Amino acid sequence: MKALVIGNKTSHLVDGLGFIQALSSETGVSIEAYGLLYGGGAEETKGFTKIFSMPEASPEAVANTVSKLIEKMTLEMVIAPAEKNGTEILSRVASVYDMPMITEVSGISKAGENTYLERAIMGGRATALYRFKTPMAVTVPAKKFKASESGATPEFEELQVIDGVTKVVEVLPKEKGAVDLEAADVIVGVGRGFKAKDDLAMAFELAELLDGEVGCSRPVAADFKWLGEDRWIGISGKKIRGKLYIAVGISGAPQHIMAASDTKVIVAVNKDKNAPIFTFSDYGVVADLYQFLPVFIKKLKEKKGV
Amino acid sequence: MDIAVLVKASLDVNMIKADSEGRILLDSIPLAISEYDRNAVAEAVRIKGELGGRVVAFSVLTWGPADKRAKEIENVMREALALGADEAHVVVDDAILPSDVSVTAETLSNLIKKTGDFGLILAGEGSMDMMSAQLPVRIAYKLGYPVATFARKIDVINGAVKVTRDLEDVLQVVELPLPAVVSVTGEINQPRLPTLLQIRKSFAKPYKAYTISEIGMDTPEKLFPFDDIKLVTVSRKNMIIEGENLEEIAEKLIDKLIEEGVVRV
Ligand SMILES: Cc1cc2nc3c(=O)[nH]c(=O)nc-3n(C[C@H](O)[C@H](O)[C@H](O)COP(=O)(O)OP(=O)(O)OC[C@H]3O[C@@H](n4cnc5c(N)ncnc54)[C@H](O)[C@@H]3O)c2cc1C
Ligand SMILES: Nc1ncnc2c1ncn2[C@@H]1O[C@H](COP(=O)(O)O)[C@@H](O)[C@H]1O
Repeated sequence: MKALVIGNKTSHLVDGLGFIQALSSETGVSIEAYGLLYGGGAEETKGFTKIFSMPEASPEAVANTVSKLIEKMTLEMVIAPAEKNGTEILSRVASVYDMPMITEVSGISKAGENTYLERAIMGGRATALYRFKTPMAVTVPAKKFKASESGATPEFEELQVIDGVTKVVEVLPKEKGAVDLEAADVIVGVGRGFKAKDDLAMAFELAELLDGEVGCSRPVAADFKWLGEDRWIGISGKKIRGKLYIAVGISGAPQHIMAASDTKVIVAVNKDKNAPIFTFSDYGVVADLYQFLPVFIKKLKEKKGV
Repeated sequence: MDIAVLVKASLDVNMIKADSEGRILLDSIPLAISEYDRNAVAEAVRIKGELGGRVVAFSVLTWGPADKRAKEIENVMREALALGADEAHVVVDDAILPSDVSVTAETLSNLIKKTGDFGLILAGEGSMDMMSAQLPVRIAYKLGYPVATFARKIDVINGAVKVTRDLEDVLQVVELPLPAVVSVTGEINQPRLPTLLQIRKSFAKPYKAYTISEIGMDTPEKLFPFDDIKLVTVSRKNMIIEGENLEEIAEKLIDKLIEEGVVRV
């Protein structure tokens, strides 16, 4: 069977290859991997039979080009990165061919004869299982499926863009952050319970005392833009897996807190004793953060003797 | 220009219920308006304010049982009406339940075609319960319209729509001819809670529920229904730290964290 992995970075191709290898070992079906890079140079990735490349284009144009390849090559699977462009492009391809599409596959499992693809639903509170069958489209998260890059060196081919009606008129830069939450041991999370950007100073002071980083809920990064998107914790942001997460003024929506489920100890500070965050935490403090944080910081300093 | 807005009556992910064996009790989880569909309604109402026309909200019930859910989906649509939609049309039919995204797209597109001509169709970026983020694209292809996803800004300019897509690393501005489908992010606007008066008025607005045969459909085949759903179990200590005052609470908390080995002093 032939599968096509698309993406605009070499790492996307590697992530897709990892998925193909995992699927192949679960099902026993041998899968021949093809790659398509849109924008970005065609770097050599061992394990692919052939890598196509095309210039950067609108999702519609990429989807048109992929659809053409599907016709030409009888591809049975198409795999894209689980990010926004990957999701749009693949939804388009899946629509053209009335193909099932599993968004953001988090695992592969087996029960009896059948192989299942798993994905998080209900904000991460549940996992849905879909029986694997072809044809199928899937998006895969970064670094989820480890690839072994071995085998023959791929051939290369450049493709013509098949334009559609969507015109890309402008591409604007976005502020880039440099915080690696995924590697942090201690994280202080800030949410809408903070009333102003300046008040986050308390969270930064606490994080510094604990040798940690500051993370946040989606509205704090995406809506208010008080912090960079590199600090956004959740199913559509970063997953964290440190020793301690202190969530301050965060209600505990599953889309946020489930991304912290691999953390050893979770502490919540919230003034509402019925906030859902308390059911997802080990230790809870029911208090106004504006009163509690200064006291907590003072006591920590005393204990540390600083 | 009339605007259609897609509103999902989603399982309320804050109210997940399971039995003692951890099986999810789908039928007893209440339905609520899908978070980002409130943004879609608010955006539709904003554009209507500029260009005039009607805002019509559409929904397809995806979770059964239909008789029990009929009232729940109506409540969700009343919220969309209270947020400023002018009328609401829904499909409630056991024959498609639980619905998958391909059947939902097919049903919604038939419902929309039956109801009128829309210059713009707005949806949320992803639904609260399924988060597949593909329905807006699937429906666009069913209708033969162009589509753009993850909009954080929309400008309608004579016959076309300019959409600022909020991507991971950049903002990509695309232009599409109308009619078009656009999915919006939660950041495109800040929907206000409807006032009591708006809620009261919503009950006077037209609301109509159809079966699939009433919109001229046979029972469609599901392309990819899920085979099983499993609860993700969370087990935490859930201990509330109490004390005479905040000082005492802070001290107790620090002691706990030292005991756990996650804080060193
Ligand atoms: C498809 C989808 C994807 C999503 N992805 C994400 C994601 O990746 N990450 C994410 O975070 N969210 C995500 N969300 C949004 C999520 O559902 C919530 O809306 C969001 O997490 C809420 O953020 P919050 O807790 O900061 O704000 P709120 O829910 O408004 O909570 C604020 C909390 O602060 C408390 N508070 C207020 N004042 C004080 C005070 N003075 N002292 C102490 N406590 C106080 C309140 O009691 C309240 O509990 C997603 C939603 C959907 C539908
Ligand atoms: N059953 C439905 N009825 C109405 N709109 C829906 C339905 N399902 C999905 N949508 C719309 O499509 C968006 C994305 O849904 P999804 O593809 O399920 O993530 C939602 O935010 C809604 O705007």
